[in-house]
Amino acid sequence: MRLAIVLLAVLPLAAQDIKMPANLDKLAAKASEVVDVSLDGALLQLASRFLSEKDPDEANVKRLIAGLKGVYVKSFEFEDRDGYKESDVEEFRAQLRAPAWSRIVGTRSKKNGDNSEVYVKTEGGQISGLAIIVTEPKELTVVSIVGSIRPEDIRDLGGHLGIPKLDNVVPKSDKKDKKEDN
Amino acid sequence: MMDDFESQLRKAMAREEPSPFFEARVLGAVKRQARERQASARLWWASAVAALLLVVTGAAWQHQRAVREEAAGKEAKARLELALKITSVKLQRISMKVEGI
Repeated sequence: MRLAIVLLAVLPLAAQDIKMPANLDKLAAKASEVVDVSLDGALLQLASRFLSEKDPDEANVKRLIAGLKGVYVKSFEFEDRDGYKESDVEEFRAQLRAPAWSRIVGTRSKKNGDNSEVYVKTEGGQISGLAIIVTEPKELTVVSIVGSIRPEDIRDLGGHLGIPKLDNVVPKSDKKDKKEDN
Repeated sequence: MMDDFESQLRKAMAREEPSPFFEARVLGAVKRQARERQASARLWWASAVAALLLVVTGAAWQHQRAVREEAAGKEAKARLELALKITSVKLQRISMKVEGI
């Protein structure tokens, strides 16, 4: 009985998707550049219909987004260093709690002031969500992807579909090849 | 017997004056029938025009809907590509930092 009550209390939290905090929208007024993309499941399905099966890059993205329920990106660029406060992302970060969420990557650079965090949500051994927080002195980017997706699948889109491929990023497939070669 | 038959036949074949207003009644009936035929034809044309309008309006609405849907789809695709671009670039940078390159 107690277990049932605990499960009833915890399950809705686990199933709940993270929300983009409203306080992030206030940063738009201060920012010099704003990108705000919000695509729910219906819009993703609509976008998918306009991705060609014949184009290999588009077909890859189509396959990639097939298991997604939402893609939300907010990116702000500021003229000055104090465009945002660390507390502005705290409300977003606070939602990425264990046991559903786990931080798989966290980088911090004192020299450049760049910090990045990658979180994944797992359910039944499967990734069901991805969240990214990147803070730079004059830039703040928050990403929330709801659904089944692996971070490396999105990373490896570099060089395709007009997405720049940064130097020295070894795609997942190449890594495998290298391992097999050795 | 024969006389009786002839008498009956003569009576039956005798000229009889039409009842009063017979001609007016006949002409009235003819006009009424003509009016009914005209009304029926008008109704048919009205129905045909209404059906045609319905088909044309439906096709125009369907076309507008398809145009709106295509615009919304292309917009959603562009926004998706932008979101993936930002996310991919950020993940590539994180990957480079993690791999210490």
